[in-house]
Order: sequence, then C-alpha cells, then structure tokens
Amino acid sequence: MNEDLSILLSAGLSKQGINGSIENLEPLTGGASKETWKFNLVNSSKSSRMIFRRGSGAESSLAIRTSDEAKIQEEVLKKGVPVPEIVLVSNSNNDLGNSYVMKFIEGETIARKILRDECYKSALPLLAHQCGEAIAKIHNTPLKNLQFLPKKSPIQLIEDLYLLYESYKQPSPVFEYAYRWLKEQNYGNFEDSLVHGDFRLGNILVNENGLTGIIDWELAHIGNPIQDLGWICGNSWRFGNSKKVVGGFGDIEDLIKGYNGISNEKINAELIKTWQVFGTFRWGVICLMQAYAHLNGSVNSIEKAAIGRRVSETEIDIVDLLLLGGD
Amino acid sequence: MIFDRPTNIELISAVIDFLDLEIKEELPPHLAFKLRIVTNVLKIVQREIDLGDTLSKDAQDLIKEVIESTQEPSLIEFASSIKEGNIDLDKESLRKALIGITKSKISVDNPNYSTFKKLVE
Repeated sequence: MNEDLSILLSAGLSKQGINGSIENLEPLTGGASKETWKFNLVNSSKSSRMIFRRGSGAESSLAIRTSDEAKIQEEVLKKGVPVPEIVLVSNSNNDLGNSYVMKFIEGETIARKILRDECYKSALPLLAHQCGEAIAKIHNTPLKNLQFLPKKSPIQLIEDLYLLYESYKQPSPVFEYAYRWLKEQNYGNFEDSLVHGDFRLGNILVNENGLTGIIDWELAHIGNPIQDLGWICGNSWRFGNSKKVVGGFGDIEDLIKGYNGISNEKINAELIKTWQVFGTFRWGVICLMQAYAHLNGSVNSIEKAAIGRRVSETEIDIVDLLLLGGD
Repeated sequence: MIFDRPTNIELISAVIDFLDLEIKEELPPHLAFKLRIVTNVLKIVQREIDLGDTLSKDAQDLIKEVIESTQEPSLIEFASSIKEGNIDLDKESLRKALIGITKSKISVDNPNYSTFKKLVE
C-alpha cells in the first residue's frame, strides 16, 4: 500500500510540475478520522520534507472536507499566520482522494512533551502572547475566498450542540443547565470571522522559541471570533496544569494582550469566560459523540468507550465555572 | 451474596495487576498506551461497584430537594425539569444538587481530575 501511495503522490506532484522521487514515506499518528504521512521529495538538487493528509471518508459531522482545509491554509498564510505551505490539493475525483500535500514545519505537537520537557521551558512564557497574535491574524483573514465554509451564529452553534447531545438520549442535568445559561448570554457584536475551531496544544507546533505552526483546520467555520479564545482556555486543554488558564502554559492577560495588539476587535476576560463555558459544553458533546460511535457499533474501540466517562470531566468544569467561581 | 472470594473488586484488582506487572513490559509503545486506558477503565468499574449504589442514592435525595415527585425521582426527570424551565436557575437546592451529583460522578470516573481535586481540597 505504501508503494501504491508513493506512485500516486509522485504522479500527483509531477502534474503540478513538481518532480522528484518519494522517499521515507511513513504514517504519523494523528486524528482517527484522517491519515497523515510524512515523506521526503528528492530530486537532483535537494530533498524536501513534506506531509500528506487525507480524509478517510468517515469524518465527524462537525468536520469540513479535507481539501478545504488546504484552501484555508493558503488564505491564512497570506495574512502571516504560521501554517504549512500547501504544495498540492486533490479532491475525491482524483486518485489521491480528498487530500493535500504541504511542506513540513519543524515543531512538537504533543501537549505533555511541550509542557514538561526541558527544551520547551524557554517557549512556555512566550506562548500565550504568540497564540493571541496568531488567533487575531486568523480572525483578520478576508472571507471572500472562504465562502464554502459553514457560517454559524453563537445561538446556532449552541442549538446544534444541544440537538446532538439530545440525540444520544443520555440526560445530563449540567448540560441542560449550561444550555439554558448559554442561551441567555450576550455574545457581543463581532464581525463574522474565520474561526479555527480547535486551537489548542495538540494542534499547534512549538519549538524552543514558541509557536511555529498551526495545523488541523477540520473544525474551521465562520462565526463569532471569541470562540477560539474561550476554547484554548478550557480546563480540558490545560492537560493537568489547571492554574495556567491558557492551554496549561499561560495567563489570560498575555493572550488578550497578544490578541488586542493585532485585532481590530478589542476583547476582555469576561467574554472569553462565556465562550469557555461554551467550549467545555462543546467538548463534552464531542466526548458523547465519540462514545456513541462505539456504543452504536460503527467502531469498536476501547479509546472511544473510555471517553464516554470523560463527559463528567466537562460537567465538573461547567459546575466549577458557573456555580463555584472557577476560572 | 452467594459468591465466594475473591469479590468482584478483588478479581478486577488481580486483572489490573496482571496487566501492569506482566503484560505492559511486553508491549510496543502504542499498545502500552492503550493498556493504560484499559486499566483506567477497570478502575472506573471497581469504583462504581464500590460506591455506585450509595452515590446514586445520595443523588436521589438531592434531586428530591429540587423537584416534587411522587416516587423516587430519576436523573432523567431532573434533567427534563431543568430543560422545561420549571426550575429557577438561581434556586439554592438546584445548585446543591448539580454540585453534589457532578462531584459523585467524577469521583468514580476520574478522581484525579484537576477540577475535582481542587474542589475536594
């Protein structure tokens, strides 16, 4: 199968006028619904490291088409967002399927390594500010070429999640409470923006100087921009470092300073907290969705079964945020 | 109870020890990672066997403080009465029930979770 993929990649690239042989093609671990491979493209003058990413056809209902992720990366790169440069985009009519090839960017994605390993110690104090800037640049991206993306108001997002939660018929008093609370909040008058949708450790690349790249655009959509800031502050993405509100590594003041330095919109901690509650509810519903993929028999997976018992982590976080003054 | 020892909890402990002490070392990293999930799941089952009845009973008592019900009220009834707007979100007994039930659930699912540890300290 690797050899077949090698041939297809080589053919696809040469159609774009990029010639060379495919070497060291290896699968990378990553999201369950996408394949990711790394390889070297070697020609007479040089060897370049590349990444190939392909949808399995069994993506979550929340995800966009894999080839559309590439189009977003091309657009945000123009605004100076650090993302891998796109080399080739293929759709489902082509031999390579719904996929794309991008240039390799150096950096670590694994949260626990970034938070614990000595070599990232120098990066951690810089990261919240850098993330704020990068998120603001994403939100500044013109939408003209991104009209294919789903557009959702805060209320639509809340209703969609609630419907998904309800479809599993597993009642959660905390989710019911959060749903009522979320519907009553003021989300401000923000211009529709490109939202990454899953900006957190795991989906960003980090080296000893901090942020080097942003990947995994499959939950991108157009909507209220503050969602991205609330998401990265959720306790689910602090990986046990709960005192560091931003992603387990930084302080909210630094995130806001980074964001406000670039963005036309000025934001504050209170708005972020509302979206943090939303994000926690969203992650809870995603956990439910994964568990029911196992329970309904579409996949048999111990990981997916186990994640069903992580719904209560999001419930205790919502209780802490809304009833016990947590942050 | 008509069953002999080892009890259900003791049997699961024996399985966890076997996996941790004899199997883990033999596995390549990606399976060792999955094995950690497996032993975590077994520990959830143990805690649920141990505490599940008491915690569910406590939850019912908390729910009874919030909603009027002729018999033993369930989590389903509790959730739907919040949904239907029958309960004022500021009601003190609602707050108490949500906190109590959620702490009980996480104490079985993951007592090491940061927010739970913070709240019990």
